[in-house]
Amino acid sequence: MSEHHEHHIASAKQLWGIGIALLILTVLTVTVAGLGLPSPFDILTAMAIALTKAFLVAAFFMGLYWDTKFNSMLLIGALAFFILMVSITLLDTLYRDDIVPSF
Amino acid sequence: MANHSATHPKHVHHHFVDSNQQFESAKLGMWVFLVNEILFFGGLFCAYIIFRAWYPELFTQAALELNTFWGAVNTVVLIGSSLTVAMAIRSAQNNQKRGLEINLLITILLACVFLVIKYFEYEHKLHLGIAPGSFWNPTPEIAAVLDHPKANIFFGIYYMMTGVHGLHVIVGIGLMIWLYIRARKGHFNSEYYTPVEITGLYWHLVDLIWIFLFPLLYLIE
Repeated sequence: MSEHHEHHIASAKQLWGIGIALLILTVLTVTVAGLGLPSPFDILTAMAIALTKAFLVAAFFMGLYWDTKFNSMLLIGALAFFILMVSITLLDTLYRDDIVPSF
Repeated sequence: MANHSATHPKHVHHHFVDSNQQFESAKLGMWVFLVNEILFFGGLFCAYIIFRAWYPELFTQAALELNTFWGAVNTVVLIGSSLTVAMAIRSAQNNQKRGLEINLLITILLACVFLVIKYFEYEHKLHLGIAPGSFWNPTPEIAAVLDHPKANIFFGIYYMMTGVHGLHVIVGIGLMIWLYIRARKGHFNSEYYTPVEITGLYWHLVDLIWIFLFPLLYLIE
């Protein structure tokens, strides 16, 4: 293990740029919510903006963009299992004749 | 390899090959923990999705009781704190002891602002009897606008998701104070800043969760 890895140091400009982009996206999502788009477009735009923000945080604040791919794989794996959990649960709950009364 | 301790920097534990391997291992460990955190919150998001699919009209009605303005302010506060954490890591990487301390202090301050706002939101709701589950006991004015029989379920989900998230913020403040004390003692430099890096990862995840909670809870009316 003689190779020496220099850790990537993000420039202050980069970090502030990401921070400002996140602020703009926050203003955007509040503005779009105020427009009252018809369902399902309201939730779709809100989630698209939230996913963009999440991507910026994960890639640049958490440094996945410069990091070993293995850590990105862990994050993507977690999201894949989350989607699996939701999908399988919905296969049950969406197709019930009667929602459990006490729920 | 003749003299193990002489060739290794003081912070490297003897079971690691070098400083970099130790750093990468710690980061990998933190990411595995974050996977666990995502699936932990995932269960709560799953509950949200199921109940929203069952009672879509409840969610749009009940969200009117949440204050979009303060939710948005808290979003900005958390984004700001994520930026200062990233700047704190940058300071450590550049051997800027003062910058590290200041950025950690601003992060702690912003996290406290978040909790104070959250406290006033909770306090206002509980005052109106907007409580989760069987504690649901709304004032007549609230009951008139929010007459859905499952309204208590929405607020059960609301309090659980934001409450567990708030708990993570409190833990984060504790970790930041610990980092600040160690930074003051000069424990961190460009060669060794692992605790700052992995606490930063944790803090960004807390921010990530809120990025989804805000539109899902506050922005659906």
